[in-house]
Amino acid sequence: MNEITKTAVHKRKLKYRVRDFVSKPENIILSITVVVLGFFTIYPLLLLLKDTLTVNIADLLYPELFGKKVGSLTTFHWKRMLFSNMSSTYFWNPLKNAVLMSVLASFIAILYGGVVAFLITRTDMKFKKFFSTVFIFPYIMPSWTIATFWKNFFQNPYIGSYQSGMLYWLTGICVPEKFVYGLVPCAIVLGLHYAPFAYILIGGILRNMDANLEEAATILKASRAKIIRRITLPIVMPALLSTFLLVFSSSMSAYAVPQFLGGASGFSVLTTTLKQFINSGWYGQGYIMSIFMILFGLIILGINQYVTGSRKNFTTVTGKSGQISYIKLGVWKYIAAAILVVLCVFCSFMPLVSFALESCTDIPGVYSNLTLKYWIDPGFPLNNGLHGLFYEPQVWAAFRNSLVLSISCSFIAGTMGILIGYAVSKRRGSKLAKLADNLAFLPYLMPSMALGAAFLAIGAKMGLSKTMGLLVLVGSIKYLPFASRSGINAMLQLSGEIEEAAIIVNVPWYKRMLRIIFPIQKSTFISGYLLPFTSCMRELSLFTLLSSGSIYLMTTLLEYWQVWCDQSANALNLLIVVTVLAINLLVNKLTGASIDKGVGG
Amino acid sequence: MKKLLSVLLVVCLVAGFAFAEGQGEKAADTIESKIEAGQKMTDAELLELAKQETGAFYVYGNTSRIAKAVSNFVAKYGAELGLTESNAVGTKMNDTDIYTTLFQEAAGASNKVASMVMIQDGAQLSIYRQNSSIMLNYVPSTVADKVDSNDLVPLVHQYINKLFIWNNIGDNAPVITNVWQLTEAALKDKVFFKNPAAEQVNMNFLIMCTSDAWAAKLAQAYKDYYGKDIELGSYKNAGYKWVAEFIANVNFSISSDSTICKTMAKADSEGCLGLFVLSKTRDLDASLKANLTVGAFTEQQVNPFSGFMYPMYVQMTAKCPRPYTTMLFINYLMSSEGFTPWGGAGTDILGAYSTNPEIGAAEGDQPINFWKDCLVAEDASYIMVNKSAVTDFVNAEIAKK
Repeated sequence: MNEITKTAVHKRKLKYRVRDFVSKPENIILSITVVVLGFFTIYPLLLLLKDTLTVNIADLLYPELFGKKVGSLTTFHWKRMLFSNMSSTYFWNPLKNAVLMSVLASFIAILYGGVVAFLITRTDMKFKKFFSTVFIFPYIMPSWTIATFWKNFFQNPYIGSYQSGMLYWLTGICVPEKFVYGLVPCAIVLGLHYAPFAYILIGGILRNMDANLEEAATILKASRAKIIRRITLPIVMPALLSTFLLVFSSSMSAYAVPQFLGGASGFSVLTTTLKQFINSGWYGQGYIMSIFMILFGLIILGINQYVTGSRKNFTTVTGKSGQISYIKLGVWKYIAAAILVVLCVFCSFMPLVSFALESCTDIPGVYSNLTLKYWIDPGFPLNNGLHGLFYEPQVWAAFRNSLVLSISCSFIAGTMGILIGYAVSKRRGSKLAKLADNLAFLPYLMPSMALGAAFLAIGAKMGLSKTMGLLVLVGSIKYLPFASRSGINAMLQLSGEIEEAAIIVNVPWYKRMLRIIFPIQKSTFISGYLLPFTSCMRELSLFTLLSSGSIYLMTTLLEYWQVWCDQSANALNLLIVVTVLAINLLVNKLTGASIDKGVGG
Repeated sequence: MKKLLSVLLVVCLVAGFAFAEGQGEKAADTIESKIEAGQKMTDAELLELAKQETGAFYVYGNTSRIAKAVSNFVAKYGAELGLTESNAVGTKMNDTDIYTTLFQEAAGASNKVASMVMIQDGAQLSIYRQNSSIMLNYVPSTVADKVDSNDLVPLVHQYINKLFIWNNIGDNAPVITNVWQLTEAALKDKVFFKNPAAEQVNMNFLIMCTSDAWAAKLAQAYKDYYGKDIELGSYKNAGYKWVAEFIANVNFSISSDSTICKTMAKADSEGCLGLFVLSKTRDLDASLKANLTVGAFTEQQVNPFSGFMYPMYVQMTAKCPRPYTTMLFINYLMSSEGFTPWGGAGTDILGAYSTNPEIGAAEGDQPINFWKDCLVAEDASYIMVNKSAVTDFVNAEIAKK
């Protein structure tokens, strides 16, 4: 009898617990997030892993696999990739190059972005508003546009393709080949592309830093250098580390930049080798590289969590003094501004000028004879039948597809980001919240190319192959990390009291979200929508395999055009960049949202 | 009980007959049987049957001109077949993307199903034909007895050539008469060639150079040029040696044949040459074309080869939704009218050669037989056996650069 009572009590407790659990929206959101993201992130990984352990049709060209059944199990790919006489060519050397490139890019991004963040937030440098707007342009632009510009600008008749670039054409200056092609320029271009990331993360902390700390040091007669070394740097150290890890991870999966700046000898990193294997149909070996890239990402995520979890806590926002004491630069405030103007013009405006100029050349690289035929000629018959950009039907179809895709992805990812942010902040510290948070961030660490390949298989199983629906699904998942970061940042800034008042008077959850939470953090939330939109508009690797043969996007169209006609490709490139910049600026003007708010919170 | 058993027996018999009849209909209705019948039909007969087909018509090809070919076909037959620019589309895709897409379509994962594909890499095509059933071969009756028998299964639509072409401006124009010149220090980084790791046909050319036949020719060419026998060192044969030294000299900084062609034609490119698709010269105006010299068109030619050529195969898909339309389209592609997007007699586009000998070469070009004598041609069976080993060799040499 006692046993029966115990069981009944236990059942009742469980029932109440379940009822209590499901009565809270944050629990439902987190549970759904874990199930859905668990499926769409773990399943692709398993598919990739399966391909590395099975025989594909194209693998039958290897003598070791002659006569094997397609789909049968094999360890051939792993042995060949890691322990054969070709391992160094296909795996270890590209891995070494990728790590070197990523480490260098991270340092460049931190140095450049960090210094700019410091100048803007902590000094009296001139034109700060201009810089804070223009400095993030390179992050909004696709990384390959800067790589293309780099080549267009620095190429000279003694290196690479032996053509004159803009610098040589204007000044006659020839820079060394190692500065135009190979490891160094790849790292610089990626560093410039991700420097705004460092600016946003480090700048966010510097901007909110309690001035009392520095003031106290000044009163105690500490030198400016000592203040920076002993106070400022330790405070921004977690942001520096986060930036390093995020830029490192992004650079590891960069494909277009090393592809564009490979030069006469070629420059191989994991992604370029991965693409070669996929192009040959040797998926098993290619996906081993993807798995290693994902492993790197996971290690980085772990380090990041360990560091940010175990670091000394520095409170940057307090209720006390909000006044920041600016460092007086004297005459240097003009010199620093002038140097920064040159750098910003080079990284943010010159690519646009370069694309405009290249699209108007009659012969690529020859600027003495310009024409508008690649823009406005309705019946231009050459170059594989491409018309002037404004008259080319493919462009407008691709433009429409890109907009539909980007808006859909940004809506789904942005909304999910807000919900995840809400739920994670409500259940902060719980295992479920941590799991959902990590799963939402995981797609960031997956190389786009590998994720695209995995969704190809998922699409086939779900009957979504070659549909816009599949592109929207993969895009929403890939860009969810941006939106979820933004959502979590926004929600963590909100005091629980704000919602509690509404809960007391029984305001339903959806009304609390729509009427209280969203309006308060509107600009940060909209920034969470803006980031997936921007990323989606400029994405190539993720969609190239999924859309081929069915849906043309601006970027996939550009990929084809680059092989057909330089001038038309440059015109299209310019159209992509201008569209993305214009929408960002428009949203910023209308709502106050911006990329930096999304990343930095 | 007996009644019940009798009724069951009758039902089973009827069902059995119906099933057998259905199977019979199915057998007569398969794509294979339609192809078998279609191979004996004329264009007019195919057109009549194609008129009864409905739905969209999609074609994938590893050639950008496929879009124009489909468009021309729609202009000719669209009204009769219910095809328009929106439901009949030719799309450029690379070989691997085509196979991946076909497998998905074969698995029923997409509503959009291709009817025909044009494939570049013969070795890979052979592997896929042997180990899957996603593609089917069709030979038009209109050309069956005209096309070289070696080009019928799988059907070769055309050959495309990549030739040694140099900038002829100035005194140091790299006039090439022997391929061993390309391995000399004077031409270091001056020879533009699309990275074979990214361009399968370029890799196939290098693989073919290692074959016994071409290795022997390369050894002889070495002797002709240097006046002494070749010393192989650690190389297996003269082909491997030439490939290694050629790779050490080539420049991979341009990743498209179109751009290589345009770059070679510029005044800046004095002293440079490229191994690229001849048809890319179609986009150059006359003044720029004059800056280029095609080695194969010079009096002395290049010993032992002036470049290489590769086939473009045509295959119907096993899930083809409009088989008769597709067969009519392939007949059209094999005609001089259908070949115009790529060139042929009456056009000014050089560098593409139909396997239908009745379609001559463009003015200023040479017929296919001329090229067979002076270019390295792909042998899919040799490439199939040697692809992995030579690809490893080539990639290792590229890594040394």
